[in-house]
Amino acid sequence: MNTIALLGQPNSGKSTIFNQLTGSRQHVGNWPGKTVEKKDGSFTYNNTKYTLVDLPGSYGLSGNSDEELITEKFIKGGEADLVCVLVDASQLERSMYMLADFASMDVPAILILNMMDVAGDQGKEINDRLLSERLGIPVLTFTAAEGKEYGKLRELIEQELKTPHRLVTAPVIDAGTNDTGVSAGKMLAEGQAKYAWISSLLEGVTNTKQTKYKLSKFDTLMVRPVLGKVVTVGIILVGFLAAMLIMSPFMGVAGMLPGLLGAPIANFLTGLNVHPWLVSVFSLIIPNTIYFCISMAAFVFGVNVVFGFLEEIGFLARAAYQFDGALSKLGLQGKAVAPILMGMGCTIGGASGTRVMDSWGQKMLTMMVVWAVPCASIWSIIPVISGMFFPIWGTLLVCVGIIAYIFVLMFLVSKVFGKSLIPEDAKAGMIMELPPYHKPHWRYIIKEAWIKCFDMFKRALKTVTLVSVIFWAFSYSPTGNVESSLLYKVGTTIEPVTRFFGLGWQTFMAFISAAFAKEAVLGTLNAVFAGQSDVASVAFNASAGGVDTMALSAYMTSAISGAEALAFMFACTFSVPCLMALSTTYKESHSLKWTLKTAGFYVAAALLLSCIVYHIAALFIG
Amino acid sequence: MKLSEMRADTCGEVKSLKGDERFLSRITSIGLNEGASFQVVKNDRKMPVLIFVRETLLALNRQDSENIEVMEVKA
Repeated sequence: MNTIALLGQPNSGKSTIFNQLTGSRQHVGNWPGKTVEKKDGSFTYNNTKYTLVDLPGSYGLSGNSDEELITEKFIKGGEADLVCVLVDASQLERSMYMLADFASMDVPAILILNMMDVAGDQGKEINDRLLSERLGIPVLTFTAAEGKEYGKLRELIEQELKTPHRLVTAPVIDAGTNDTGVSAGKMLAEGQAKYAWISSLLEGVTNTKQTKYKLSKFDTLMVRPVLGKVVTVGIILVGFLAAMLIMSPFMGVAGMLPGLLGAPIANFLTGLNVHPWLVSVFSLIIPNTIYFCISMAAFVFGVNVVFGFLEEIGFLARAAYQFDGALSKLGLQGKAVAPILMGMGCTIGGASGTRVMDSWGQKMLTMMVVWAVPCASIWSIIPVISGMFFPIWGTLLVCVGIIAYIFVLMFLVSKVFGKSLIPEDAKAGMIMELPPYHKPHWRYIIKEAWIKCFDMFKRALKTVTLVSVIFWAFSYSPTGNVESSLLYKVGTTIEPVTRFFGLGWQTFMAFISAAFAKEAVLGTLNAVFAGQSDVASVAFNASAGGVDTMALSAYMTSAISGAEALAFMFACTFSVPCLMALSTTYKESHSLKWTLKTAGFYVAAALLLSCIVYHIAALFIG
Repeated sequence: MKLSEMRADTCGEVKSLKGDERFLSRITSIGLNEGASFQVVKNDRKMPVLIFVRETLLALNRQDSENIEVMEVKA
């Protein structure tokens, strides 16, 4: 077996190396019986296949979390034929701590000095030969984000699997260490011994002197309590504009598909004497599904490029510093700020952005909080619907109300689920390094965003096709009149119940479609309110951007009250964000139970909210 | 005094660490062991404490920084 394990602190570039080596040949799951993510993958070099395991765990191997215990057991059990220990060359002394923790385990290893580019920029020189001599294992100088560096890494791995080396030195720690827990005093003494070992190793290896740190001009601004937050949010907003620019060409091209493909498919199938029913399925659903999936993937791509960039240059760490205080009120820590901000663009991006969190509990709670953030699609619907019923100032009030409720909902989520996801003894405040700003590695950012976007696209094609077919079947009307569709029959049957929540059958159906995709809301409304035309074709054509809002407005204002519209807008905004957000939450959490809990909570909370909003609003606006 | 009480632009040395094993191991592994010298870069109310230790700029949760007993050192 050729199993290689990657070991390193956060920010050491571990996931970069993992992704660059394995590409899309990755498998992500859970470690048996634990809610800790297991990532492995493979790559081939000189016709030999290698398995790469990304070891979980944060800063050390002292067995204080599930992650650390799993990592320790994996290495001690001899499951890895070679362990690549990663350290940050720009902060050598501090990041060598992982190696000091690892040194007591007698297994073949190499040391990778990553971020040599940053160390170089700081004028640091490292005598890697001397270090290698002292350690007894090979030391590789490396820059993980540079694709061209990987040749020498693969070569070294191949060579070391044939002729492995083990560390010849380890920190001298007083005897009597037992595996099951150590006292606080002993832990502190061990820490001292490890740093003493690191100092003796680095003597004469680096030229670093502890100098006084001075914040850069930009950082002086970024760390100001109020102004820093304003600048952070401002930069994020500019980032979203950039994301829009990145994705608009893809969406533009994809938007032409339904028009271009619909008629030819219909003609072709009609020519083959296919039943008109099937012709309508294929010519309507397929092009629209592809269009929808491409535009969603483009969204995910744009958001990931922008946030990948902000992460790479070191900006997101500053944002985490800014919002740590606020987020700790939700039981989260500063690092959760990035996924939450991503959620303002796209909940799917936000959910997958929770990977930066330290533990599974933190990650799951962050995902649940991200769901409360209305994504960009919602903001394209709300003003349209609100504008039909209320004057401009009313619409502004609706938006303010929605924004205010985001915070209420986040607070509710953390109150309801915080304790079980992050128990008191697992609480950990933020300890985070603010890396020096550095130039982005564009190829890497784009590659990472592409992997995420393509993965989303594949999942979306499957689920959206399925749901489209179901929706189509429900809304298909043999007579062309909405009253003969299944949708109408189910909707009107349960209307007495949904009425209680402030939703009539039409708005309730649109509420359900909002949980699949926010983009489908206007189309569904159009279909169910317009009534006379073919529901299916109206809903699907509308999702491609062709809603006649004037006509819809006339139908809606005559059919429902302002209070119902208001209740609907709130319910729609704060329900399940979309089908793909649900799917991504499952993929990231690996927990069906918690994914369903999240969805159940959001649906229930949205209906309750709708009920409250409706009954209060009915008192004032009728 | 506590780390959270130090003023910006002063230097200090860690005297002792308080807390459970999880916290101790985390704080040690990130570079703040007893005897480590550091510089306080920024310390504002309700914000994490920014310190420079072992060539690293670290943001430390405010509550956690109250568990770190330090001594000011004249630079």
